[in-house]
Amino acid sequence: MMLAINLLRRNWRSGELKLLGFSLLLAVAVLSGISIFTDRLEATLISESNSVLGADYIVRGSQPHNSDWPSAAEKDNIQQTQAALFASMVFAGDEMHLASVKAVDAGYPLRGQFEISRVPFAMDLADIEIAKTIPAPGEAWVDSRLLPLLKIQLGDKVAVGEYELTVTHVLIREPDSANPFSMTGARLIMNIADLVKTQVVQPGSRVDYQWLIASDNNSQLKRFVEQLKPQLSKHQRLIDIESAQERVGRTLKTSRQFLLLSAVIAVLLAGVAIAITARQFSARHTDQVALMKSLGAGAVQIRTLYFAQLIFLGVIASLIGLGFGELLQRTVATSLQQVYQIRLGTASFYPYGLSFFSGLMCLVFFALPALWHLPTVPPLKILRRELAVNMPQVWQQAALALFAVLTLVILFSRDLELALSISGALLAVIFVTIIAAYGLLSLSKKMVLRLGGFWRLAFANLQRQRGQSLIQILVFSIAIMLLFTLTIVRTSLIEEWRVQVPDDAPNHFLVNIPPAELPQVQQLLEQAKVRPEPLYPMMRARLTHINDVETTEEQRSLSNALRRELNVTWADTLAADNKILEGLWWDKWQRSAANLPGVSVEVNTATEIGLKLGDKLQFSFGGLLLEAEVASFRSLDWRSMRPNFFFIFEPGSLDAYSPTFITSIYLPAQQKSFINELLLDHPTILVMELDRIIEQIRSIVNQVSDGVLLVLWLTLIGGCLVLLAAVMGSIAARKQQAGLLRALGSPRRLIVGSICAEFAILGFLAGLIAIIGTEILLISLQKFVLQTPIQPHYIYWLLSPLSGAVFVSALGYICCRHTVTTPPAVVLREAA
Amino acid sequence: MSAVAMVQANSVTKQVNTQEGTLTILHPISMRVMAGESLAITGASGSGKSTLLGILAGLDVPSTGEVILNGNNLSQLDEEGRAKVRAGNVGFIFQSFQLLPGLSAHENVMLPLELRGDKAASNKAREFLERVGLAQRLHHYPQQLSGGEQQRVAIARAFASEPKVLFADEPTGNLDSTTGARIIELLFELNRAQGTTLILITHEERLSQLCQHRMELAAGAIVSGRE
Repeated sequence: MMLAINLLRRNWRSGELKLLGFSLLLAVAVLSGISIFTDRLEATLISESNSVLGADYIVRGSQPHNSDWPSAAEKDNIQQTQAALFASMVFAGDEMHLASVKAVDAGYPLRGQFEISRVPFAMDLADIEIAKTIPAPGEAWVDSRLLPLLKIQLGDKVAVGEYELTVTHVLIREPDSANPFSMTGARLIMNIADLVKTQVVQPGSRVDYQWLIASDNNSQLKRFVEQLKPQLSKHQRLIDIESAQERVGRTLKTSRQFLLLSAVIAVLLAGVAIAITARQFSARHTDQVALMKSLGAGAVQIRTLYFAQLIFLGVIASLIGLGFGELLQRTVATSLQQVYQIRLGTASFYPYGLSFFSGLMCLVFFALPALWHLPTVPPLKILRRELAVNMPQVWQQAALALFAVLTLVILFSRDLELALSISGALLAVIFVTIIAAYGLLSLSKKMVLRLGGFWRLAFANLQRQRGQSLIQILVFSIAIMLLFTLTIVRTSLIEEWRVQVPDDAPNHFLVNIPPAELPQVQQLLEQAKVRPEPLYPMMRARLTHINDVETTEEQRSLSNALRRELNVTWADTLAADNKILEGLWWDKWQRSAANLPGVSVEVNTATEIGLKLGDKLQFSFGGLLLEAEVASFRSLDWRSMRPNFFFIFEPGSLDAYSPTFITSIYLPAQQKSFINELLLDHPTILVMELDRIIEQIRSIVNQVSDGVLLVLWLTLIGGCLVLLAAVMGSIAARKQQAGLLRALGSPRRLIVGSICAEFAILGFLAGLIAIIGTEILLISLQKFVLQTPIQPHYIYWLLSPLSGAVFVSALGYICCRHTVTTPPAVVLREAA
Repeated sequence: MSAVAMVQANSVTKQVNTQEGTLTILHPISMRVMAGESLAITGASGSGKSTLLGILAGLDVPSTGEVILNGNNLSQLDEEGRAKVRAGNVGFIFQSFQLLPGLSAHENVMLPLELRGDKAASNKAREFLERVGLAQRLHHYPQQLSGGEQQRVAIARAFASEPKVLFADEPTGNLDSTTGARIIELLFELNRAQGTTLILITHEERLSQLCQHRMELAAGAIVSGRE
């Protein structure tokens, strides 16, 4: 064992194992960084979802719960309480914020607890206390971030509508917190007894009423819930732990998919570097093994020696890799905690153990196959160097490597379908890239040979190692593609969207304007010379039946419009950015024999649900039913910054329902104070400041992509390791070639030029393939996800191949510079 | 001269299969080298010298016949068994030195001792490097040493494990004549001091003259010398 350690130390010192060790370290660092982070995220989200409800069941809806339920629950010994959630502007002096208010009743929460503090942004457990009660009337607990937003301190007052509350604590953690990754405003918790005094809840206001129940007697609770179910209205939903967890699960799966894909690519690159290095190590050690065998070492001893070296190396590199992974996840977690004000839980032992195991697995599957034949090297090779040694075939190594990657993905994702889809996507990318690289390499050969000089020499080198050249192009193109995609997404897509919005486009939405206040609001706008877009009445309704058939679960899963309550309106004129694609607008439309009012449907929603012109739809407006006939399909432009609706009814058809009004206005920066004026007189109005929202989106995108970029930079390092590994293997041949050329009188310029040209061609082709891949990815993103017009990124078409050529040729030159600086005599003597 | 045969070959042949059919590299060869004797095997290129050396040292197996090394019948042993016999009995010196480039002179000499689990490997290696005049070069790497110095390290490595038989394959083939002469001197001096049996292959008349016995091979058969 000591000999194995000694040999490992000597092999490390001689540089043969360094690349292997670093590649392994990188693989473990990336895998552990990402898996520890997602494990913490998962632990946090799941623990939040366990206490997420603050109860065993919640009845949620746009209407308060039935008044006879509490007494029924009391009779069955079931605990209960209630809460009301809504968005409202809160003020302190001249500052304001659209907060997410939760008004709670005594006993809230039934499960979980409020964690509060007198120290804003408290992370230290000593500063955090468990609340034994809810805020007293006249008091409020707020998210820490509300304090700087409103420029207040604990003890100051904030106004919610017409009523002022004293902020006594900051809220650290709460049950049923808003999804930490949503864009809602800061939380304010108040006593439900104060709700009426605020006067913010008016008929038609958007309020999420919650009735919470819990019991330690599970069977009784289930019986009660079963009795409750038929009594729920269409506007009420029963939520239990499972459905809350399912929601969390979906968010988690998407983020894990992306991170895992990046990690797999980084590991694969590190794995390729490990495999190449191991092959070279193995080739160099063939003679060493023959010598050791001639000195009396048996095959068993050789196998033990090399296996032990590999295991020692694996353990050391994996442990250091775990350290770096821990550092990586902490960096990502810290930036995330700052953005979202969430405290991530601790990771389980699983990702640590798994990452460590993965390091060893990488060695076993990427490195060991290359070394497997070493014990079988005949000792006679020491006398007869020409004796052939059976190295494993490259395809055998590749098949084992693929198996290893697939196993790793399954272990990390714990999801076979996800693992197979990731591996499939990866294989497809590799396949397409290799074909493209092969084609480009052949094509460029014809062009480059015309140039002659060092280009000819460079190409001879590329051709001699065609396989390795293809691998290097593949590796760099994938790394550059990922980096550019993320860089472009994080900067230019938001910019592109912003550019498409005209300068004087509305930048504030005024929502929830009560009809009684409409004339005053219009007057205020006129006085301030603010030109509003048309005012639209807005009501909330749920689409319940299509052609007298109740919507099915399957339909609801296909369309958001069926899942939740919608804002609907009526209008007599068609907005400028709306276009009728099929059917007729009200000026030409005629009611059918059924004499139902008409409704115009947004075209994508109509397609999702599968509507035809003339279909009969039934809507529920807070329990009041209305039937309407589909009169037309409309397209609309969501980016117009004007109020837009999925469903627009015929004028007069909604007169029986109480609406609130919505409009959008353009306010130049110097007129911002108008909002304060407006809100002081009309506290129920919600103002959405789009410019701030865009800024907020940008800051979140930046923070999150910083973390992901870190992972992608590691991917690029993986690419560099592959290049380094490939170059190391060719150093001896390069030295000999350079020595010969110099001995024959070639100028140094020619040799340096050929090295730079060789790697520049590699980098150029990798950059070219990368930008093609990036553009395809971005076009798909723009077309299917962001639905923005497709814009080519011309500058990157230049930047990608050029930066690839410069970067890779610089890297290549650094790796090979010794071959040029070594005197030819030394080179030739060594070769001899 | 001791009466014990250290290396004995009985009707050893070697055939290999090629595309053109079976090629005989060694015709039946029988020979004996007693403990402490020295034997020079000479012959033109392709005469089968290296093949014979490989078989005598247990690096290769004969097609027919048997080799007995220090009482061990190599033909009855598998590769693991032959490795054990080599570990306890055999040392090598090669034409191309065969030093491991990643190891210092000291570590190269230590290697066979370490493979045998010798606890005093470091001290013994240092002592033998001093004996070959490389006390100042312990921590130099092969590429930092001249050809003669590299061969001296190889000699130190061969003698450090105190082998009973030393096989040398053209030990001066890669050296100029002056350096070669010094290496020969050193080789025989250590050989005398340790009473090692020496079997060497050489082209050099001067070197073969220094051996007690000479054997010339031509086309795989002994044409003169000891049988």
